[in-house]
Amino acid sequence: MAAANEARTLFRALLREGKRFPNYNLRDFIQRRAKESFRESAGVTDPSAVQSLLKRGREELELVKRQSTVYGLYGRKFKNVLELDLKFKPNTPAASSA
Amino acid sequence: MRGFAAAPQPVEDADHGGSSGGSSMIEKKGITLRGVPLYLDMQATTPMDPRVIDAMLPFMTEQFGNPHSRTHLYGWESEEAVEDARAKIARLIGADPKEIIFTSGATESNNTAIKGVAMYYKDKKRHVITTQTEHKCVLDSCRWLQQRGWDVTYLPVRPDGMLDMSVLEAAIRPDTALVSVMAVNNEIGVVQPISEIGALCRSKGVFFHTDGAQAVGKLPLDVNASKIDLLSLSGHKIYGPKGVGALYVRRRPRVRMEPLMSGGGQERGLRSGTVPTPLVVGLGAACEVAARDMQSDLAHVRRLEERLRTGITSQLQGVMLNGPSDLALRYPGNLNLSFAYVEGESLIMGLKEIAVSSGSACTSASLEPSYVLRALGVEEELAHTSIRYGMGRFTTDAEVDRAIDMTVSHVNKLREMSPLWEMVQEGVDIKSIQWAQH
Ligand SMILES: Cc1ncc(COP(=O)(O)O)c(C=O)c1O
Repeated sequence: MAAANEARTLFRALLREGKRFPNYNLRDFIQRRAKESFRESAGVTDPSAVQSLLKRGREELELVKRQSTVYGLYGRKFKNVLELDLKFKPNTPAASSA
Repeated sequence: MRGFAAAPQPVEDADHGGSSGGSSMIEKKGITLRGVPLYLDMQATTPMDPRVIDAMLPFMTEQFGNPHSRTHLYGWESEEAVEDARAKIARLIGADPKEIIFTSGATESNNTAIKGVAMYYKDKKRHVITTQTEHKCVLDSCRWLQQRGWDVTYLPVRPDGMLDMSVLEAAIRPDTALVSVMAVNNEIGVVQPISEIGALCRSKGVFFHTDGAQAVGKLPLDVNASKIDLLSLSGHKIYGPKGVGALYVRRRPRVRMEPLMSGGGQERGLRSGTVPTPLVVGLGAACEVAARDMQSDLAHVRRLEERLRTGITSQLQGVMLNGPSDLALRYPGNLNLSFAYVEGESLIMGLKEIAVSSGSACTSASLEPSYVLRALGVEEELAHTSIRYGMGRFTTDAEVDRAIDMTVSHVNKLREMSPLWEMVQEGVDIKSIQWAQH
């Protein structure tokens, strides 16, 4: 099905762009939200609902790309302490992983 | 996220002030930081959602028109954007767009609602009811009325922060104009029984205002279902811009009020001044996103709160929760804990790598503990060691884990140095000791 293929392509593109996002918290958020949305939409079969979900997916991918540029230009030059501290080990590793 | 937290990406060398370690130090207010602290202070303010920034940018570049200009495209496109934003805010709270007035934030909305309604009805009604745990801007607006001859009742709350309905009912008088009770408290996250208050006020013919700054967009809220007559909200608490908010003013039954601003008569004459299109568009986008993401956001903060609370309390004794333990009565993105047998200021200083708020105003000269915690009857010592952890849409598991580690290790370190803690460990009941001096 063409729609299912496009959905998968969009999902992978969102994860990829999300990983490149210059801000730590947003990198995490984009992964989490993309997975949630993808999972939620998996059961949608109504063609017009599928089309509007795909439309939103395309828009969000473009938005992530644009905002990635904005953050790259205007974000901080300093890193979050979590990203700095290579020694840091969470108590229990975070469940989800890309 | 393993990929981001446990094994961070290589740190880019900052292009200014770089030092040997590959990272540079940040110096501010006499404190040196290795990096940017983790942000766990979402009740103070939230970062803007990129979807909000994206919606605002066109109105910060070429679409700069005055939304009140009637004669050209610049005005028309700005007006259209403002009305679109108004509709999005209305939709989030179940209102009609005509009932939404743009303001500069929840402070202005609260001032307008309380002073505006009280002044309009001053000939017949001279009494206002609020609670002792409201935000300063509500308490100060009530103080302002008091200085001008109104009667104000500041209701006490229960030890968990909840308002007792029978206490409220007993306080309502024939000359009560307004009841103002916040929906979610900014310090302890307690959720007040808004629908019950609304029903009671409606039955008594008293207007009901609620400060929804910490509730709108985070918990489901409907002005009709809860019989709310006036509701304040703020952009920067819901991933929108600072300096913008809104006031919902019911049209049926009609709430009348006197405006605080005189001028061009914008916003149905209730708030003169050019409406700031980019900010208002941002607020609208924030509300639209909040409506769409509410369930996901709530599930996320619920999970994080559980992780943080159990992470700390499973490793430390003597931790007190400020606010209700029942999560049906507390917004989970707000966890306020007090740590016994540590010194408040030392604790906050030790936690400088996480941005949190403290119940003790230890940066000010006064060293006054929070009036909210005092109203709950929290002991002064414990009020001074309270920490508010604020989590939200962009908080990560790894940040929570780091906050747990930092809190546990610093509390343990401080307690090791505390003679009181040593006595507690030896089984001495501290409360039974007769102190020579207080
Ligand atoms: C409950 C509550 N009311 C009002 C305000 C004030 O909001 P604003 O900063 O938009 O004026 C805040 C935030 O500080 C708040 O938490």
